[in-house]
Amino acid sequence: MSAIDGRPIRVAILSFAHGHAHAYAAALLASPDAELVVIADENEERGQNASATYGAPWVADYREVVTRDDLDAVIICSENARHKEMTVAAANAGKHVLCEKPIATNVEDAIEMVEACKANGVKMQIAFPVRFNAATVALKDAVLSGRIGQPLAIAARNPGTCPMDWFVKPELSGGGAVIDHTVHVVDVLRWMFGAEVDEVYAEIDTRIHDIEADDTGLLMLKLSNGIPVSLDTSWSRPANNPIWGGVEIEIIGETGVLSLDAFHNNIQVVEINGPSNRLIPAEVSGDPEMIFAFIDAVKNDTPTQVNGVDGLRAMEVALAAYASAESHQPVTITHANV
Amino acid sequence: MTESSGATVSTPSELSARPVRFAVIGTGGMGGHHARNLANLPEVELTWLVDVDLPRAEALAAEIGGKPTASMEEAFASDDVDAVLIALPTFLHRQATELAASYGKHVFCEKPIARTSEDGQAMVDACEKAGVTFMVGHVVRFFPEYERLKQLLDEGTLGQIATVRAYRTNPPVMERSPWFADVEKNGGVVLDLMIHEIDTLRWFFGDVERVYAQGLSFLPIHEKRDYTQASIRFRSGVIAHVEATWAHATHRTFIEIAGQYGLATYQSEDAATLVIEPTDGIEWLPTGTKVAQRTYLKPSAAAPHLKEVRHFIECLRTGEPVRIDGVEATKALTVANAVLESMRTGKPQFFNEDGTLATA
Repeated sequence: MSAIDGRPIRVAILSFAHGHAHAYAAALLASPDAELVVIADENEERGQNASATYGAPWVADYREVVTRDDLDAVIICSENARHKEMTVAAANAGKHVLCEKPIATNVEDAIEMVEACKANGVKMQIAFPVRFNAATVALKDAVLSGRIGQPLAIAARNPGTCPMDWFVKPELSGGGAVIDHTVHVVDVLRWMFGAEVDEVYAEIDTRIHDIEADDTGLLMLKLSNGIPVSLDTSWSRPANNPIWGGVEIEIIGETGVLSLDAFHNNIQVVEINGPSNRLIPAEVSGDPEMIFAFIDAVKNDTPTQVNGVDGLRAMEVALAAYASAESHQPVTITHANV
Repeated sequence: MTESSGATVSTPSELSARPVRFAVIGTGGMGGHHARNLANLPEVELTWLVDVDLPRAEALAAEIGGKPTASMEEAFASDDVDAVLIALPTFLHRQATELAASYGKHVFCEKPIARTSEDGQAMVDACEKAGVTFMVGHVVRFFPEYERLKQLLDEGTLGQIATVRAYRTNPPVMERSPWFADVEKNGGVVLDLMIHEIDTLRWFFGDVERVYAQGLSFLPIHEKRDYTQASIRFRSGVIAHVEATWAHATHRTFIEIAGQYGLATYQSEDAATLVIEPTDGIEWLPTGTKVAQRTYLKPSAAAPHLKEVRHFIECLRTGEPVRIDGVEATKALTVANAVLESMRTGKPQFFNEDGTLATA
């Protein structure tokens, strides 16, 4: 597809099932280069609410949306198991795709998505906002500039509150906390080091909530550059936690340590008529930059900074973690050809 | 006094009637600290300071009293020792404990109990045979923060526990005392630091089912920096992530316990009550930002190292069991050695129900 000159990129959001859609819609409204044209959601109440909030018309069936002529790209925020059908439909209709993470719930679907986008010559990006977060970018710069010498080991975590709803129904989500929260940090590590995850050992269980899906996960990874990494993916923050959770990455190096707490820039608020302790982000960094990067790639016809294969590689780690937790043995990760 | 294996052992009634006479074995960092604590206790008479580095023992004796000697036998054979406090490098613990027990002396030994579980068990057996009290200095059980957490858990405030995250950071201690870097002899950062978390978490959550670990202890870098991260699965189902490091700039401890009904978090710097911020030695980065060192202190009325020794003395006087005996300490050591073995082999290590390591 050629560059689109002179007018904003016309975008549809397909489903608000994943709450991140709200941040993406807000970023689209904030971008001079983008226009939110239409919202598709099979859930009428959810679709109408989003329509009212973001000022774009609502359509129930996404299939009527992807074929429209006045549309350049779609942002897919449906349940994980439905990413494939929406991505393939959009790609076949010649629309660029930004898809929420994880890319899918299994390797076959992910490959089909990547190949559909390739075959139709449309761009594909996976929503990994953490690598666009300013503090995370600074972490990468500090590592690569040798601030701590040779990186030796990494301890990371991405804990959160339990999102409930379809997230805890494995047939829709593909798992639980592990598939939900493995992929962000794995993506950051792959991006930072240009390395793959070779092996994973995991302990996974359901110990907090009365749900079918896993809510507790601890992954021990080995990167292809030899660096050991631990990653806690648990939905371990209570529902009334002052904030949703966070992304923390500590890198132990030969001459120092870097500790990232990417969403720690908050203001603590205690209200006499409200919650005793609330944390309000002083700045939101990650989501807007990630959306702007997608819009730029479409506008300038450049490759997306995160592509479908990145999404596949991150998901492969989560799937291998589930296998390891079953066998109580480390699992070597096989990277699907695509 | 009671007779056992030919040696006389001071009884609770004797020790209740007069100060407990201590020999401190090893007068380095921890030994010196303990000796100073003992010297200030009214219920203690510090009689001997033993160190192969005799001038070091003499210097300490000049400061706090006690007779300096380079020979454990000389101190143990004298008639003015009821109990010994052993603060030697780990691999020497067994020899010193067995010798003290053979002379009928009660033993307080610094953690870790020994380098190997066989050594730990041998020490337990020697003390049992001699009829002496044996305690291992897992001091974290005497820190008010961890005592309070234990109480919180016992009260069921957090419900079923899902996952725990704990770490203990320290500067590269091998730069000061190279013997710490000898993993073969001393077990590196796992046996010296992580054993604190292992013992504490066993205290909280019971026996361990399996461990998996990775880190630096078996890489050449470990002579300069040591770091280990471990996944510990308890029989109760709790999943723990534990880190120990000699690769940070400061000492810091952290524990977070996530359960069905809530989350409890403690971090020693967040809980600091006194912060020292020197304005000399500031490092200016090219960007103009500065890197300064802050020191976080938490002066405690509790003085855990004093508390653990007083607990030991109290048990000698009442005959009550000690809070951490050799059996408990050996179980923690077995887990710590399994962490090392997992790191060395890249394979998870599994435990039998009695706490011993299951052979594959």
